[in-house]
Amino acid sequence: MYGWIWRHLPGPSPVRALIALLLVLGVVYVLFQYVFPWAEPLLPFGNVTVDQGAGG
Amino acid sequence: MGTAIRGGRRRGRVAAALGLMGELLITLGLVLAVFVGYSLWWTDVVAARAAGLQGDRLRQTWSAPAAAPSPGVEAPVPEYQAGDGVGFLHVPAFEKDDRTTLIRMGTNTDVLNEGVAGVYEEPYRSAMPWDAEGNFTMAAHRDGHGAKFHDLDRLSEGDPVVVETRDSWYVYRVAGTLQQTSKYNVGVVAPVPEGSPFTGPGRYLTLTTCTPVYTSRYRMAVWATLVRVDPVDDHRTPPPELR
Repeated sequence: MYGWIWRHLPGPSPVRALIALLLVLGVVYVLFQYVFPWAEPLLPFGNVTVDQGAGG
Repeated sequence: MGTAIRGGRRRGRVAAALGLMGELLITLGLVLAVFVGYSLWWTDVVAARAAGLQGDRLRQTWSAPAAAPSPGVEAPVPEYQAGDGVGFLHVPAFEKDDRTTLIRMGTNTDVLNEGVAGVYEEPYRSAMPWDAEGNFTMAAHRDGHGAKFHDLDRLSEGDPVVVETRDSWYVYRVAGTLQQTSKYNVGVVAPVPEGSPFTGPGRYLTLTTCTPVYTSRYRMAVWATLVRVDPVDDHRTPPPELR
């Protein structure tokens, strides 16, 4: 997978490395901005109130 | 010869599939590691920014000149809606960054995730500190999203907890703690909390969070009782408990 991506990036190695870095940063951005905020409430780590079973 | 080539090709395909699976597993591991960083660090950064802005805004509304009191008319007691800033909670026993926490109405996720102490509106609607009697109940995160109650387990009997509002410092002292209870134990935030040392109505304060750290398996509660109300002076000089 990573090998395939690397082979399909254009340009010489330094350019490819730069594009790869940008891709990684883009993925991290999407994770932080969209995926994690969506996933977090589904995981049982952040409920701090007492209630009758509804989310807190 | 022919079988050797065919065998080699099959082995190559199996190796490629295993390699792809390995890369996916490595990716999953990295994503989970980044998620830990997100939960324990980034949500704190975001929450601190939000709470700081809202705290500044609340202080600004406090410093705005109050409407001139008409003679003979009592100033109306403010009605708070979900999300409204109420004041600040000061807990000297906490780490420096967590000693002051903005208090806002409501305990839904949107409010709590902004690094504040949320005032319970259900299952029991919280009393307010200025009410003649009742329990002022709040919840905040143990980890991530500001982690304002990370050190709640440090509180022990006699520790001061101070609520600052526009006009008053409400000084409470811890009277009892419950290190672990069920998340369904709503009695801990009742007007006279169940399991607390209190037996009759009074002016109480209750803080809850989740425990043990990094999980939401159980809840922890700390109960305090009002000992003094100091008026706020022109310099907002904090009470001796906070100096």
